[in-house]
Amino acid sequence: MQKFKTLKVGEEGHLSDLKRGQRCVVLNFHNDNNALRRRLLDMGITKGVIIEIKKIAPLGDPIDISLRGYELCLRKEDMYGIDIRVVE
Amino acid sequence: MIVGLYGNQNSGKTTLFNELTGSNQKVGNWPGVTIEKKEGRIKGSDIEIVDLPGIYSLSPYTLEEEVSRKFLFEEKVDVILNIIDSTSIERSLYLSTQLLETGIDTVIALNMVDILESHGINIDIDKLSDALGVTIIKISAKNGTNIDNLISTIKEGNYKKNSNLKIYPNDVEKLINEISSSFNESIDNKRFASVKIIEHDRAFQILNNEILESRSQDIEKKYDMDGEQLIASLRYQFIESILKDSVKRTKRENTITDKLDKILLNKYLAIPIFIVIMGLVYLLTVGVVGRYTVDLIDSLFNGSSSIKGLGPLLEELILNAGGSPISASLVSRGIIAGVGAVCNFIPQIIVLFTLLAILETSGYMSRISFFLDRVFHKFGLSGKSLVPFIVGSGCSVPAIMSCRTIEDKDERHLSILLTPFIPCNAKLPIIVLFSSFFFGSSSWLVSFSLYLIAFLIILLSGYILKKLFYKGHESTFVAELPEYKLPSFKYVFKDVYDKTLAFIKRAGTIIFIFSVIIWFLSSFTWRFEYVDGENILIENSILASIGNAFSWFFYFILGGNNSWAASVSAIQGLVAKEQVISSMSVIAKVSDNEAIFNSQIFSFFTPITAYAYMVFNIFSAPCIGAISTMRKEFGNYKDMFKAVLFQTLLAWVLGSLIGLVQLLISI
Ligand SMILES: Nc1nc2c(ncn2[C@@H]2O[C@H](COP(=O)(O)OP(=O)(O)O)[C@@H](O)[C@H]2O)c(=O)[nH]1
Repeated sequence: MQKFKTLKVGEEGHLSDLKRGQRCVVLNFHNDNNALRRRLLDMGITKGVIIEIKKIAPLGDPIDISLRGYELCLRKEDMYGIDIRVVE
Repeated sequence: MIVGLYGNQNSGKTTLFNELTGSNQKVGNWPGVTIEKKEGRIKGSDIEIVDLPGIYSLSPYTLEEEVSRKFLFEEKVDVILNIIDSTSIERSLYLSTQLLETGIDTVIALNMVDILESHGINIDIDKLSDALGVTIIKISAKNGTNIDNLISTIKEGNYKKNSNLKIYPNDVEKLINEISSSFNESIDNKRFASVKIIEHDRAFQILNNEILESRSQDIEKKYDMDGEQLIASLRYQFIESILKDSVKRTKRENTITDKLDKILLNKYLAIPIFIVIMGLVYLLTVGVVGRYTVDLIDSLFNGSSSIKGLGPLLEELILNAGGSPISASLVSRGIIAGVGAVCNFIPQIIVLFTLLAILETSGYMSRISFFLDRVFHKFGLSGKSLVPFIVGSGCSVPAIMSCRTIEDKDERHLSILLTPFIPCNAKLPIIVLFSSFFFGSSSWLVSFSLYLIAFLIILLSGYILKKLFYKGHESTFVAELPEYKLPSFKYVFKDVYDKTLAFIKRAGTIIFIFSVIIWFLSSFTWRFEYVDGENILIENSILASIGNAFSWFFYFILGGNNSWAASVSAIQGLVAKEQVISSMSVIAKVSDNEAIFNSQIFSFFTPITAYAYMVFNIFSAPCIGAISTMRKEFGNYKDMFKAVLFQTLLAWVLGSLIGLVQLLISI
């Protein structure tokens, strides 16, 4: 499992590194599960989209993110494959 | 005319479908898969409407999407009715852009407009309709607003024809044209197929060729994205650009949903609240309602000190009319006792279904999946397994089918295997009957403990099976977290009505037939002598000899008793779990015209063996209906047999261990 670090505004990392309330812009994908990748694309996680971390499940995983005016839950391990830059 | 109803999950598709068709619907399966297919006729017209699975895209990765795609092209849909949740319009239009590419005329029903204002969203539908080239009608499926308008628009053909909207930048549109013109004439939906080729969709690869492939690669290089990513990005870019002009959003902070989630998803409170809520559900269902209704209904069927009861009344009538004692017994001790034993539980089943429907439509169920995923994931399951588990406390058949929403094959497999462990409504009669007789006022606690044990067993089996058979597999969890909504009365009512009716139908058919068979087998000996209770006892009946053949199997469970009656009743759980109670009721009536536990035949039961017997019945192989659904979902007999064997063995071991306690005490 990846190490958790704290990202500051302007820094780049994985979507799974973010804390509650942080906002980021999606830069790229790196994962080899085609079905998952397509699913994320279909749900609106495309390059350039702004994502905010809204809620974290009581046990720390999964995470509820907000994008394109709605909310979506993902597991941390699936969020790891999404490269982002923190914007807020 | 055929209308296909397309939309995302939770967009209000079911609600709209019910509004459009009234009671005019037929539920079946899509050919070859166990995905539910609902068809109906739109009220006041002869337009056929088909409800398709809730999907977000027409990608080739899930069965639901494949079914939806095939239907568009193979069944010649005349009009697509695309329902959209207007509060998540951006994501919803993503599916619309794909539907429009098929060239089929589309009407958009913009749903949930009743809550738009409170969400701070303003949609200019004229602008949006122009930008998309599609007729858009604002509706509220829940309140029935503007549904007539929607129906007449479709009926009168009063909608914009598909204009083959161009949504991509020029270079991509040029490539699409190039690909389209390379197809021969026979191919329909050229634009759709062309886009699929750019996306490398495997179903369309036969249409591809080297020239097109290299042109696609040029575009991919130019945009620095692969085809799939490119098309998805461009779709969303197009949607963003048109929404800029037609949708105004005022930013909302701290919505009711957010406030509720602060409590219900709180780090420390979430799980205690969940346990309390589920405890309340079973306290209400089994404890409160059960205590007042079971005896009342039972006395209506079988009589009590104050009421004559249907059974004894009919018996008297038949005897007075000169009928034989045998026919009187068939009616009162066979049919009425058997069917009545099951009908006693109808009020509880109504309450249980109502509470579950409320949990589901309010949005709380999605929260439970959300916070239990972490736990379930550790045990080889998905948070989404919770849906089958909760639906399973109604009936295992739809529950096993609902495992389809679990993306990962192994997690799905495990969920199908473990779902029948949840006590379904047919097992409820067994639980209530035994626990209220043997545990009195703490019966709801005993019932609740069985549900907890079920959960523990599910987690434990999941863990062990995962370690043994499903090693090192990756899985995913992608789910929407919908806003909390006040449950709609109509929706809950229809859901409960349909399910209760199905339960009653079973009592009237399967249980009826088996009650007659059990009455016959327990009322006659192999030499067809009638069991009259004086000269010929029930111990000589055919049923007793059948039961004696395998009562050894239940020896430990029953605390060292050889009971043909309890054994033969438990085996009938294969037919339907409520049949266990029916059978016991018939046997008790035929033997000494008593209620089950007042009868000599079942007098050996103690609280401990009652518990052991319940445990066996809950965890052993489910009914035939559920077993055959398991086979369908597994796709083969081998896994089905393995599952049934595993369940029954586990039930036997658990039941026997508990029963052994009784055996040791009595020694
Ligand atoms: N406020 C509001 N809620 C709605 C409307 N239509 C459906 N709902 C609710 O949205 C939820 C999902 O609806 P359902 O018909 O089950 O959606 P499906 O998953 O697409 O079949 C339910 O709680 C409905 O009561 C509507 O027009 N307005």
